[in-house]
Amino acid sequence: MSQPILSIRNLVKTYPNGVRALKGVSFDVKRGEFLVIIGLSGSGKSTLLRCLNRLHEPTSGEIIFRSESDGMRKEFDIAKAEGKQIYEVRRKIGMIFQHFNIIERHSVINNVLYGSLGRTSAWRSILGLYSQEDRRKAKDYLDLVGIGDKAHYRASQLSGGQQQRVAIARALMQSPEILLADEPVASLDPATCHTVMDYLRKVNTELGLTVICNLHFLSLVRQYGTRVIALKAGELVYEGHPNDIDEAWFARIYGEGAREVHVN
Amino acid sequence: MSETGGKIRRTIFDAIVFAYLVIFVLVAIMRPDSDELIEQMGFNVALFFGLAFMGGVISLAVSAKGIKTLGEVIYAPAHRRTVSDPDTPLWQTFWGVQLILALIATFVLGWVLTEVNPLLLIEAEPISQAMRLFAEVADPDWSILPKAIMKIIESIFIAFMATAFAVPIAFVLSFISARNIMGKSPIGMVIYTLLRVSFNLSRSIEPILWAIIFTIWVSFGPFAGMLALMVHSIASLAKQYSEIVEGVSDGPIEGIEATGAGRLQTVWFAIVPQIVLPYISYTIYRWDTNLRMATILGFVGGGGIGTMLMEYQGQSRWPQVGTIIVVMAFVVWVMDAFSSHVRAAIK
Ligand SMILES: Nc1ncnc2c1ncn2[C@@H]1O[C@H](COP(=O)(O)OP(=O)(O)OP(=O)(O)O)[C@@H](O)[C@H]1O
Ligand SMILES: [Mg+2]
Repeated sequence: MSQPILSIRNLVKTYPNGVRALKGVSFDVKRGEFLVIIGLSGSGKSTLLRCLNRLHEPTSGEIIFRSESDGMRKEFDIAKAEGKQIYEVRRKIGMIFQHFNIIERHSVINNVLYGSLGRTSAWRSILGLYSQEDRRKAKDYLDLVGIGDKAHYRASQLSGGQQQRVAIARALMQSPEILLADEPVASLDPATCHTVMDYLRKVNTELGLTVICNLHFLSLVRQYGTRVIALKAGELVYEGHPNDIDEAWFARIYGEGAREVHVN
Repeated sequence: MSETGGKIRRTIFDAIVFAYLVIFVLVAIMRPDSDELIEQMGFNVALFFGLAFMGGVISLAVSAKGIKTLGEVIYAPAHRRTVSDPDTPLWQTFWGVQLILALIATFVLGWVLTEVNPLLLIEAEPISQAMRLFAEVADPDWSILPKAIMKIIESIFIAFMATAFAVPIAFVLSFISARNIMGKSPIGMVIYTLLRVSFNLSRSIEPILWAIIFTIWVSFGPFAGMLALMVHSIASLAKQYSEIVEGVSDGPIEGIEATGAGRLQTVWFAIVPQIVLPYISYTIYRWDTNLRMATILGFVGGGGIGTMLMEYQGQSRWPQVGTIIVVMAFVVWVMDAFSSHVRAAIK
């Protein structure tokens, strides 16, 4: 059994306004797993993901990252990364968002190419001088998420589900080791939602990417997650297999009186 | 706006309104002339501050009772700005009475100070003089048309060059004077504040005053006018641009940052696409405004068609003035129509 790709220890995040969003969270992320994070609104799921790729500054704690990309093994603490290393962390950890966060006015293919910004110099990217290899890769990833024919559309002309696939292709373009997904299907209809989740699973199983995904619907968690952790008010309250969440656990995580809803 | 900041502003505002109203009544009763007022300046100022102090105390006492004052209505922080009770008519609320009294006093005072006198408008002799002037202006001397066209072209280019030089400078300044970009560090906040203050200062100096300064610096001519408009445009555009930057959505910024992009790349790929259209819109509007101003900068030696207008007007050569007015009105109208068309098209 290989070592975990991430080891999070006592992670604390206190926002400048005093909100304690994470109160000392510890868990491991196994290489290649599809880890789902659940919890009530405001429990700290988004905060946790954003600390992992340093979009937000953790207040204290450790995030040990055992990187194996670029043919090199490297172990370091993301929480203590500084300067250039922060950009390196972000490059190795792709992220997709609830509202897709792509550049709607730009073409689909350019949006995917922005996944290579981390390894392209500022002036080359501004002049649009991406390498031939990157251009080919971008096209391949668009094919992978099934929208190769939309490459030259303006991103805003795509449906929500398609935009999220552009976002996945952009993340893949980074050649990441981990993919973070913050409620990737929360603003999609149930049918589209499964298409997008299926692509995430494909990325997980076929490309071997470790996926960490925030989800709201337990039915999706059971269908796609290989492991699940639950947050409640900034603390880890559950860690286990999705199918082991019975009614008693459900009540503890979501509070008494909560009822499960299904998406099909 | 902080809670105490709002309270201080509110009280100061109410204090000034109170002092203003009392002094208005005093002046109305005692009818001093302005020489007397100037001689007694020390006393008057003291009286003003005394009354203002009383007003402040009254304001505090009234709001302590939970009654809304006019200052409260204007300076209340957004989260406490409740909808006023629609069933109470304005004149039955404390702040409504304050507002109505202040408006009446200001209107009466304005009438006196601007020496409003409708009778002057209908005196026979001046009317016929004015009519004669109108008749002459309405019969333009077309022989000076070529010269007027040359000069209006100069004005158009003064406006264009001022805008063209201002745009790149304002573009760069707009990012370092946007709160969402600079607000993350203390040094950033200092730069932000300094820039915003200097924009507001230079914007509060009208281009015509800048033109006077520059005619002394680089002597009379279109260059001085261009510089004047440029300085004014930089400040105006930088302020407007940076407000656009402050309004961009965070989503795309996070999206680009998450790829490991650097700061410059994030600005270029996440922020710039969101701001180009409003930037273009404001820029064209600025050119349009600059053209209007460029037509009159000639009055202080800033070049363009205003120079001609001033000469002919000084010599009372009304038919020539008529020609210039026609040319100016036509060009400004075309530019205005063009600018609003473009701005509507890129909405
Ligand atoms: N930028 C911020 N500044 C201050 N407080 C924040 C910020 N972002 C989040 N919070 C607070 O931190 C807590 C956790 O928020 P977070 O967004 O991580 O929750 P979440 O589990 O993702 O919720 P949701 O399911 O609604 O997305 C909340 O109380 C929230 O108000
Ligand atoms: Mg969230």
